[in-house]
Amino acid sequence: MKDILKTGVTLMLFTLAAGLVLGLVYAGVKGRIEKADREAKLRAIEYVLKDPLTGDYLVEESEIEKVVKETGIESIVLEETSKGIIYGPVYEFKTKNGKIAFVLSGASPGFGGNVVTVACFLKEDDDFSLNSIRVIEYSQETPGLGAKIAEEDIQKRFFPVPPTGLKKGLKVDKDAGSPSGSPEELRKRGIIKTSDVMTGATITPRAVVTSINLMYEYLKKKFGEG
Amino acid sequence: MASSLKEFTKGFIKENPTYVQVLGMCPTLAVTTTAMNGLGMGLATTAVLSMSNVVISILRKAVPEKIRIPIFIVVIATFVTIVDLLMHGFTYDLWKTLGLFIPLIVVNCIIMGRAESFASKNGVWRSFLDGLGMGLGFTGSLVLLGSVRELLGSGTIFGIEVWGKSFNMFLMILPPGAYITLGLLAGLFSFIGLKLKKK
Repeated sequence: MKDILKTGVTLMLFTLAAGLVLGLVYAGVKGRIEKADREAKLRAIEYVLKDPLTGDYLVEESEIEKVVKETGIESIVLEETSKGIIYGPVYEFKTKNGKIAFVLSGASPGFGGNVVTVACFLKEDDDFSLNSIRVIEYSQETPGLGAKIAEEDIQKRFFPVPPTGLKKGLKVDKDAGSPSGSPEELRKRGIIKTSDVMTGATITPRAVVTSINLMYEYLKKKFGEG
Repeated sequence: MASSLKEFTKGFIKENPTYVQVLGMCPTLAVTTTAMNGLGMGLATTAVLSMSNVVISILRKAVPEKIRIPIFIVVIATFVTIVDLLMHGFTYDLWKTLGLFIPLIVVNCIIMGRAESFASKNGVWRSFLDGLGMGLGFTGSLVLLGSVRELLGSGTIFGIEVWGKSFNMFLMILPPGAYITLGLLAGLFSFIGLKLKKK
């Protein structure tokens, strides 16, 4: 009995010391971790607020940080369905040419976990167009296959999409019967062509497309009228 | 001095953890799709390995024989968590890329292996050198494997273009590419080892 107690207490003391060390380290880097997370999210928001053709910001640069600060940076779940999750807050920006831009995030299951995408939609009368996206979470996707989604040239295949394309519900070209045509033409019909640049990977681009559809439906429901 | 140097350099080729001891295969095969990933993983493991070796060597007389394994695991897990927190804060992009493999350093058998066979029996300085040397040997192995796979699979090394995309063997980035490259490099290391012995 004495032996068991002695062993138990020794082990407990080692664990306590380890816990104390970790607590101290965490307290030291907590601010830095929060800052890194915040900066990563801000980088993604800034990216999607650029015009995909010219690379210029759609809104005044000073406006971005102001709106993000006012709306808050902490992620909140807005809606959860069997297809995926929509994360808020929804950032609302006024563009230089008087349109309203909405930025939000969506997640949908990929090959090994959720693939998270930040997207910017522009209000067009009572509908929306997709301006740009940034895939920010893909770390569980297969390296060399699904994880290629990290490449900027591949992400550019997903945007911009006019309201006509979004209305039909976006699809990856493999699910739409692999039609021929340039990526730009196909996007107008709601088809995202990735099969030529992501050979062998269907699940990851499908997850991105699903999350874009979910975000679009959410925006139509909440901000669609008027 | 000479023995310290020997302790430090033995992990480079003679007792190379990857190609000679064939330890730590999980991260070796999984993260070496690029040279950069190999370098990041190798350095993170080196940091954990040298620190855990030092602490385990300091504690070696205070640790009861019966519960040494759980205590070693607590020490190793503590350092891995510290590395994970620091990487999250300071090298965010690399931390994102390496993802799940950082927490998995806890169960990397190189670290437990060195704790059990070296640090728990030797002094602090020698244990530190052993950890650092083995870690650097491991890092070198991962960078070599990552470079070969990245070059043959994507035509780049550390993201710098070497040749165009036309020579790319897609297979090299996939798991079979990892096994093939590992096998060939392990063979090469054995060949060099045999040649050196004959001399």
